[in-house]
Amino acid sequence: MGARSSGAESMEPRALLLTQKPEPMALFAFFQTILLLVSLSLRTCQSEVLSEPLPLTPESLDVSINSAQRCLHLQWRVHSLAYHQELKMVFQIEISRINTSNVIWVDYYSTTVKWNQVLHWSWESELPLECATHFVRIRSRVDDARVPEPRFWSNWSSWKEVNEQNSLGHKASSVFPVDKLVEEGSNVTICYISRSHQNNVSCYLDGVRMHVEQLDPNVSAFHVNNVAFVRETGTNIFCEMDPKDDAGTVLFVSKVLEEPKDFSCETQDFKTLHCTWDPGSDTSLVRKQPYQSYTLFESFSGEKRLCEHKNWCDWQIAQDSQEMYNFTLVAENYLRKRSVNILFNLTHRVRPMTPKVFFKNISATNATMTWRVHSTGNHRTLLCQIELHGEGKVIQHNASIKVNGEYLLSELEPDTQYMARVHCGDANHFWKWSEWSGENFTTLEAAPSEAPDVWRDVKSELGNRTVTLFWKPLSKSHANGKIRFYNVIVENLDKPSELEPVPIPAPANHTKLALDQCSYRIHVTANNSVGTSPASVIVISGDPGNQVEEERVNVTADGFSLSWKPQSGDVTGYVVEWCDRPQDGSCDLQWENLGPNTTSTVISSDAFRPGVRYNFRIYGISTKRIAYLLEQKTGYSQELAPLVNPQVVMSNLTSHSFTLSWKDYPTETQRSFIRGYHVYLKPKEGQCHPGFEKAALSDNSVCCKYKIDKPEQKTFVVENLQPESIYEFFVTPFTSVGEGPLDAFTKVTTPDEHSHLLIRIILPTVFCVVLIMIVCYLNSQWMKEKCYPDIPDPYKSSVLSLIKSKENPHLTIMSVKDCIPDAIEVINKPEGSKIQFSGTRNSLTETEITKPAYLYLLPAEKNYSGPGPCICFENFTYNQAASNSGSCGHVPVPPTAPSQRGLLTSLENLLKALEKNYMNSQGEIPAGETTLNYVSQLASPMSGDKDSLPTDPPVPALCSEYKMQMAIPLGLASPPLSENSSVSSVTLLDQGDHHH
Amino acid sequence: MAATVTQQPQKLVLLTGDSWGMLACLCTVLWHLPAVPALNRTGDPGPGPSIQKTYDLTRYLEHQLRSLAGTYLNYLGPPFNEPDFNPPRLGAETLPRATVNLDVWQNLSDKLRLTQNYEAYSHLLCYLRGLNRQAATAELRRSLAHFCTSLQGLLGSIAGVMAALGYPLPQPLPGTEPTWSPDPAHSDFLQKMDDFWLLKELQTWLWRSAKDFNRLKKKMQPPAAAVTLRLEAHGF
Repeated sequence: MGARSSGAESMEPRALLLTQKPEPMALFAFFQTILLLVSLSLRTCQSEVLSEPLPLTPESLDVSINSAQRCLHLQWRVHSLAYHQELKMVFQIEISRINTSNVIWVDYYSTTVKWNQVLHWSWESELPLECATHFVRIRSRVDDARVPEPRFWSNWSSWKEVNEQNSLGHKASSVFPVDKLVEEGSNVTICYISRSHQNNVSCYLDGVRMHVEQLDPNVSAFHVNNVAFVRETGTNIFCEMDPKDDAGTVLFVSKVLEEPKDFSCETQDFKTLHCTWDPGSDTSLVRKQPYQSYTLFESFSGEKRLCEHKNWCDWQIAQDSQEMYNFTLVAENYLRKRSVNILFNLTHRVRPMTPKVFFKNISATNATMTWRVHSTGNHRTLLCQIELHGEGKVIQHNASIKVNGEYLLSELEPDTQYMARVHCGDANHFWKWSEWSGENFTTLEAAPSEAPDVWRDVKSELGNRTVTLFWKPLSKSHANGKIRFYNVIVENLDKPSELEPVPIPAPANHTKLALDQCSYRIHVTANNSVGTSPASVIVISGDPGNQVEEERVNVTADGFSLSWKPQSGDVTGYVVEWCDRPQDGSCDLQWENLGPNTTSTVISSDAFRPGVRYNFRIYGISTKRIAYLLEQKTGYSQELAPLVNPQVVMSNLTSHSFTLSWKDYPTETQRSFIRGYHVYLKPKEGQCHPGFEKAALSDNSVCCKYKIDKPEQKTFVVENLQPESIYEFFVTPFTSVGEGPLDAFTKVTTPDEHSHLLIRIILPTVFCVVLIMIVCYLNSQWMKEKCYPDIPDPYKSSVLSLIKSKENPHLTIMSVKDCIPDAIEVINKPEGSKIQFSGTRNSLTETEITKPAYLYLLPAEKNYSGPGPCICFENFTYNQAASNSGSCGHVPVPPTAPSQRGLLTSLENLLKALEKNYMNSQGEIPAGETTLNYVSQLASPMSGDKDSLPTDPPVPALCSEYKMQMAIPLGLASPPLSENSSVSSVTLLDQGDHHH
Repeated sequence: MAATVTQQPQKLVLLTGDSWGMLACLCTVLWHLPAVPALNRTGDPGPGPSIQKTYDLTRYLEHQLRSLAGTYLNYLGPPFNEPDFNPPRLGAETLPRATVNLDVWQNLSDKLRLTQNYEAYSHLLCYLRGLNRQAATAELRRSLAHFCTSLQGLLGSIAGVMAALGYPLPQPLPGTEPTWSPDPAHSDFLQKMDDFWLLKELQTWLWRSAKDFNRLKKKMQPPAAAVTLRLEAHGF
């Protein structure tokens, strides 16, 4: 307790000192004073009595709760005081939580106590009072100087129990405080009361688990410092435990109400004051706190107005011409009030109304602006600012007016849209400018002020010239309006004639003229709706002009740097022309006019591309407006390495050298100036030829390189080669930025050293052989006649018809059936003898001939039929002498004689005639010819047939092989030896097997 | 008896986004509802088309509610927007409960089920309108108003089905019109819990109604022979 007594010297700041409650005895003030004096005198007299310990114990202690404020209100009395007695006393108050021994607060309260006075004291708890039972007790001690030491504490009052939880009658689990409204940044203690003993309590503040402290088996609590605004529906606190007994509450965290900013009031019409401010943060919370209210209070008039809007409020000005105003704007929500104050003179807060603007007398260069500001009362002088916006510029003017203003806007550009606007402020007590008020207007057109910039391109063809005139559109400042058309007048300087202007509608920028070889002066003017520009004159001379040599141009970072020699005499200027797009053939002619004193310029264009060659021509313009070419330059804005290599042709290949040659590129395809060529040769055995040097290629291979420094040299002889060797070469151009791409090497094989000698021998030999062959071919007929004439054909013989028609009409070729044989010899052939014809053509192989085939003509029955032995007829067409005479002809003999003897006689006669007439007739037997048959010898073994008879045939062996048919009546049943044009394989069987 | 067996749909899933195309579709459906012959029971097709439309509308409302619930529960804040938040049903006593034994529900007559659907959505619509009045943001109010319109359409559609089947509409007793007035004794947390349960019950009701209408649709379908005949009549 001693320690707690000493603690009374440093009282806790959270203790709230509340008001005393004196007895209202105003009517008896005088008597009170008297009584006090009496009382004091009595006390002085009774000092010995007061020195005794007084039984001044606090009594009638009553404790009440304000749950929302988490406050305990204590009230008590000190009954022991004498009537009208006042005594300075100190009270010690103890507060315990959960149980009386758990004292959480000790406080001291000093006051002067009167008789029968009710004393009050309050205490605010951090923990919601619903969370735990609280106990309160109090004791007192006299602390009056009039009472001598020692002074003693009274006895404690009995503990007063405060149980809000029970008083609310909550039976369910709960989280406190319920729906508490706090400001952002506050510290809050939350407790969770469950119906059963808590186990594994988890509490979450907006989803974030909090560290929970258990106060008693059913109560847990946690503290949140510096709470933040999360959402307007509040921050949810949710607690759960085992067994499941969930509960939650919503903590409404309001943003801190801000002081209204930029609070000001002004008037435009002296009838209404318009006050505005910036409200700052919105402190509203759903279902808890509405948007903060704003109240306007004017202290001079004492009037107040609740504003309906968040950031502005109108105040009606009274008719009594109040000049001074003292406004207080109060912002308020459930948690706090904020206010701002302004004091002003009404006339110093005048903002003129927005002017109304008109334009009049608008011309090409001038316009008059008028405006009117509605009354601001008492015809106050206004200062107005006029702004003219146009052509990207802003020009400002000032004017002082009363009600109506007028300003002449001059030096305007023709055919230009402007925007002029005006705002005004009070000239005497400037407060604010009015709103801007402006209008657009467009000045009228004027005639173009400058001649168009004209240039030409002349192309001569077959004595005619096509002149293309180009002109650049006039700038807006020179066109002074919309250009409608261009007039072109062509004047023949050699033959004066009437001038006819040719209008060309805009926006054309060129026209073509077909001119002859005369000189012409061409005038070009631009025209708009108002007038015509000065003429631009250019002369096309009849002189074709001079040719100049092309030079290379320097390139700088700014572009092509061109310079030329100054021309003496009558040069009025220079023109540089070039094509912006030479690469695609469209040219897009550009030109630049330069003064007579200029001898250099830098040409740059966004159209310039790397690797494209640009040609620049510099013309001098004479006083007669004739352009003549001075210089011609060419160059690249940026050189690029070549993309292609030349097509190389190899020639003059010898065993020790060959020649490479290639053609020039077209200029347009060159991406840079070619400075020469590199000839690469893959070395044999790693050694480079003289003049070559070793070089590494881009594919890291090593080869020999020969450098040709002259770009005009396009042949190269590779020498010192070895015969019968393979060489590989490759030619590429090189430029300042590198060489061409690495292409495939071309292989070449050097020939043998003696190969030419061989050629000298072989060629004539072959020629001779061919010549002989041709001669032989041409004389083949002669050779045939000489060496192997054709065998004559008896049927084809004309001598036969000759005989028939002239000598004997019944004469015919001998027919077998007509023959009356003189003798028939039957030859007994052994069984199995066989004569076989084999082969495909004229071959006859007789595998077994046992006896010679003699032909004996024997008399026989005329109509013999039936099978019989082979009957052979000896062919008398030939005799041995004839066969062996070497003659190649076949001599058919018509067997007409009925007897052998007659036949022989006639044969001899015929032979003579035939030998004479039918040596070369072809032997052919018509098919179906049956009445006239003959048997003829095809060939003797000596005639050269490949398939010959056995080498030792019996005589007469000539009968053994036949080519022509031997027609034999079927009744004879002899084995026929028939063949037509082709020879069939026939097997002769001994009993009359007949094959055809 | 398994009294706790409930027909619970999936938990409220936080999905955002809305489909104005679906809204247009819904509006078209609503617009044509009066013209549905099934509603006046005089047309040949019977109640089938109107049941189909009611089913479609229920499924659409389910989809729409997923989006709305996501937005609204985010507006309430954690733990209400947490997917696994499954609190006991504190308060929200007046909300029509969708949790009922499945067998009991299926054993009800069509008339009774339709009547209970109608009554439930009538109540839920009133509560939703109250929710709309309390909402703080304009976007949320717009979404809620849109959903209320759709729910009103569903009520009309159910009334149409009932009329087509010849069932009378339940008449509210005078003075028992449900109104949404926050209980002053309710803490704001319990108020939020009520909002949570309102959305949850609504979702369960829609889920179950979709099943009801699907079942009813199948029940009301003409037999297969009739379908064949009709197809033949159409020249198939």
